Amino acid sequence: MNQENAERSDPFIRIKRRRTLYLLALLALLTCTIFICILIGEIGPIGAIPGGDHISIGDAVNILLGQSHQYSNIIWNIRVPRIFLAGFVGAGLAAAGMAMQAVFRNSMADPFIIGVSSGAAVGAAAVSLFGIGGMFMLFTQPILAFIGALVTVFVVYRLGTIKGHVYVDTLLLSGVAVAAFLGAITSFMIYVQQQQFHQLAHWLLGSLQSASWTEVEIIALPIVAGGIVIYLYGRELNVLLLGEEAAHNLGGNPEFLKKVMLAVAAIMTSVAVAFTGIIGFVGLMVPHMMRLIVGSDHRLLAPASVLGGAIFLIWADAISRSFVSLPVGVITALFGGPFFLFLLRSRRLRGEGR
Amino acid sequence: MAAEKTQTMSPAVIVVILVVAVATAFGGGYAIGSINNASNQHHTLTFVDDYNRTVSLEGYPQRIVSVAPTPTEILFAVGAGDLIVGLDAWSDYPAQTKDITKVGDFELNLEQIITLKPDLIVSGDLVPQTDLDILESNGIPYMIIADRNLSEVYGSIQLIGNVTNHASNASQLINSLKDRVEAVTNKTLANGVSHPKVYLEYWPMFTFGPGSFGDDIIHLAGGANIGAIKDTEYPSVTDEFVVSQNPDVIVYTTGPSTTTNSTEIQARPGWIQTNAVSQLKIYSMDDNLVSRYGPRIIDGLELLAAFIHPDLFT
Amino acid sequence: MKVEIQDLSFSFEGKRVLKDISLSIGEEEFLGLMGPNGSGKTTLLRCMMNFLKPEQGAVLVDAKPIHTMSDKDLAQLFAVVPQTSQIEFSFTAYEMVMMGRIPHAKSRLSSETKADAKAVRDAMERTNTWQFSDRQYASLSGGERQRVIIARALAQQPTILLLDEPTVYLDITGQLEIMDLLRELNREGLTIIAVMHDINLASRYCGKIALLHDGRLESQGTPEEVFTPDNIIRIYDVDVIVRKDPLTNSVSVIPRITTIVSAMHGTRVHVLCGGGTGGAAIIGLRDAGYAPSAGVINVLDSDFELSEDLHIPVVTEVPFAQISDETHLQNLQRVMEAAAIVVTDFPVGPGNLKNLEAAVAALGKGKPVFIVNAETVEKRDFVGGKAKQLIDDLISRGAVKVNGKQDLMAKLAERLGR
Repeated sequence: MNQENAERSDPFIRIKRRRTLYLLALLALLTCTIFICILIGEIGPIGAIPGGDHISIGDAVNILLGQSHQYSNIIWNIRVPRIFLAGFVGAGLAAAGMAMQAVFRNSMADPFIIGVSSGAAVGAAAVSLFGIGGMFMLFTQPILAFIGALVTVFVVYRLGTIKGHVYVDTLLLSGVAVAAFLGAITSFMIYVQQQQFHQLAHWLLGSLQSASWTEVEIIALPIVAGGIVIYLYGRELNVLLLGEEAAHNLGGNPEFLKKVMLAVAAIMTSVAVAFTGIIGFVGLMVPHMMRLIVGSDHRLLAPASVLGGAIFLIWADAISRSFVSLPVGVITALFGGPFFLFLLRSRRLRGEGR
Repeated sequence: MAAEKTQTMSPAVIVVILVVAVATAFGGGYAIGSINNASNQHHTLTFVDDYNRTVSLEGYPQRIVSVAPTPTEILFAVGAGDLIVGLDAWSDYPAQTKDITKVGDFELNLEQIITLKPDLIVSGDLVPQTDLDILESNGIPYMIIADRNLSEVYGSIQLIGNVTNHASNASQLINSLKDRVEAVTNKTLANGVSHPKVYLEYWPMFTFGPGSFGDDIIHLAGGANIGAIKDTEYPSVTDEFVVSQNPDVIVYTTGPSTTTNSTEIQARPGWIQTNAVSQLKIYSMDDNLVSRYGPRIIDGLELLAAFIHPDLFT
Repeated sequence: MKVEIQDLSFSFEGKRVLKDISLSIGEEEFLGLMGPNGSGKTTLLRCMMNFLKPEQGAVLVDAKPIHTMSDKDLAQLFAVVPQTSQIEFSFTAYEMVMMGRIPHAKSRLSSETKADAKAVRDAMERTNTWQFSDRQYASLSGGERQRVIIARALAQQPTILLLDEPTVYLDITGQLEIMDLLRELNREGLTIIAVMHDINLASRYCGKIALLHDGRLESQGTPEEVFTPDNIIRIYDVDVIVRKDPLTNSVSVIPRITTIVSAMHGTRVHVLCGGGTGGAAIIGLRDAGYAPSAGVINVLDSDFELSEDLHIPVVTEVPFAQISDETHLQNLQRVMEAAAIVVTDFPVGPGNLKNLEAAVAALGKGKPVFIVNAETVEKRDFVGGKAKQLIDDLISRGAVKVNGKQDLMAKLAERLGR
């Protein structure tokens, strides 16, 4: 009986052990991903374009160790920042998606649900339509996209909030309505400008091509800060899923929590989208994939989603820029979809859950 | 309605803090970025491109990568084709382009471009400028060619000639192009010459509107562009519109992704009533002759003039 | 912990949902908050847990108003079990219960302690849910899920448990599981305040009832005191009979009208019965719109109780006595006033033989007589064959045999031309 008891008291220890294990595994996976994907590119060592110049693995390692090489600037100024950008964007989209799924209590929610993508599109389209150059030149499009996204989220938020109470269903519907409206405006702007459409098209399809250390520097702070905030509210996100009364009783303030999560997700997503355009699927699927592996406790799910999102997008981008010539958004859908279905099926077969 | 709670921070404060952080990051990042771009090279050749950007080179470029079809054609036309070491996948004219390394279609292969060690990138204005800026931050300057009308085309040809040390070639080319244009307009814009109505279709149900290059060319070719009364530069048209305008000549363009042909156009509802269809004055021309704003636009002009005024150009 | 609600008023969008409610709940009480839909009981519960802020009045615990208390203190005071917890996401039962420990967490960064583990373990064992620890919450049955939620509430280590219609989505097994568990917890010292919808369940388990109607506290007290026919007809608008359940010694209410009568034509039909055999006929007649009367029945007979409950005129006799001449006359009077007579299959003894004689008299006066289950008369003849004789006589002279309530109602309607 004592032995049985000892075994039975395990959930507590087991859960803690599992948590540490998963996070370490993901961290290791991320590190491997980064190092492998640094080796992937047009000049090799992996995925080199035939007939062109390429470097060997030895060269690559030397470059990473600081030795100078004629192509060290390619590695350091093009590949590495691109990997970091992919990592941050993937992490941010996944974390924001997870937060939105909790706030809306809806597994179909993604980070764009509150109007970020449609607002950013209008901002970006406006840049080419009105030929806005301005002082920031290079960053004009990202800045306007960011502003467009935030303004839109704010409008959607106001539509869905009455007297300080956030009505999640209304919020969802206003997000959909505003997105449809802004989509029409964007289409109109595209139709009218035409000549400059090409610039916008690249952005709309989503791309990490613009990566530079500057962009990484800019995006790092909001993503890291946002990720930390989401993690800190992890327990309360769990409780938010239980319904408003339970959430309130267990000591949370659901209204405050919803607002914070909306704000954080909006900012993280807006910054990401401003630079890379709209990369879908990551924010929706990565939290689900992680949930199938690590469970729904947000204190574990948040860091897991962050790491998982980074790994996912770094790989998707590596594949997109070397082996096939497809936009990264297509790659994320092509690989993420079947993988997710596989996970779902194996879980069903094991008899867990719904 | 919920009970008042004391919280450590109101959400508004958190939002403000985050937005300020992002703004600072933007500003800081930009500042750091621009510092990194300062370079100490010795410049002997400085010029201004079509985007009013001042470009400085160390001398005449010896290895050029062109990432758009129009600059490519201009480069070859002024005799600088041998300087080209890399091209985008869409640069397919002239025939020599076939053997030159391709550096990307959907997206530019930045790494590959760098390995080709170019000293100048020539671009059109449809390439994302962020890509070009990344190359610039890796030490490769770029120039942009963007023409909107014939005189700008002459200007670009001259500019590229100057930059590649083929200035006299460029001037000669320009003169010969001007002569050819004059040869056309002397006939087409002469007194008493009629201006048949022209419908020039660059994509099914899309034509050239006012202010566009195509509109300009039609005019020089002695036609009256039915699309000139539309609102935008590249408007779409309806069957109703075309039929009511009753064009005398229909020209459609062909290319790798064309879906139209003469039979299809004749079959369009109501079009049989138009002069063009009933008299079978339906012609086709290579898409690139009206979309690449380089020397070949003159080819396009001549071809169009022949379609519109066959009697003047036998 | 004494909970005191003082003059509580609450409005929503201009409409007053709660009006001046004053109620006190003693220590270790099991209180049922009841009332028809829209009476405000859930709103009252939400005010009690400080989820809603009243516009007037206050809720005090041990004389301290709850809106001055911190979230954390409140969470360790009140634990809430909502109606249902529909979860889209996958938590194990253990994780669900562990969430109850959040109010005890030291800070945002701290993780669970051994004390938390013990509290969860205790709560789960108490609710018999420990064996579900690793199972997905969503895969449990309704009753099991509610027990897990109660375990979570217990893990909070509250003094007061608030439940919002805890049994509304449960089947009968689940209902009893939960209520029995609550009763045990109450006996161990936990104050329980539950919004209930089922009157009989509430009166079986709750020690005290607070009955709300249209936002006002209409009645409070023990179930017996509160669930009177008057209260219920006034508040629920249902005419009921209140009985004391012999098994549980608690009151239970039974709606008086079993069907809605479409046309009350009030044709008098007299039922000669006794021995509990008259129930079906009397109710059937009443439901079909007739005005039944009954007799002669002794006052201990269940047919008498039924007649009293249904306000049916009945001729009575003292128990164990023969039908007196006086009583027989009263019966005959009833018979003559009626348009038809029903003779049920009551056991005939010397004491009530006169009931059959009344039937004979009725037939003599030309009144239609219906005899239920005439074939069984021999088995219930305790007067040496006289009953059979009378029945046969009645039949030979035109009494109609019927073999059940439906048959009776059909033949009666036919005969009376309805």
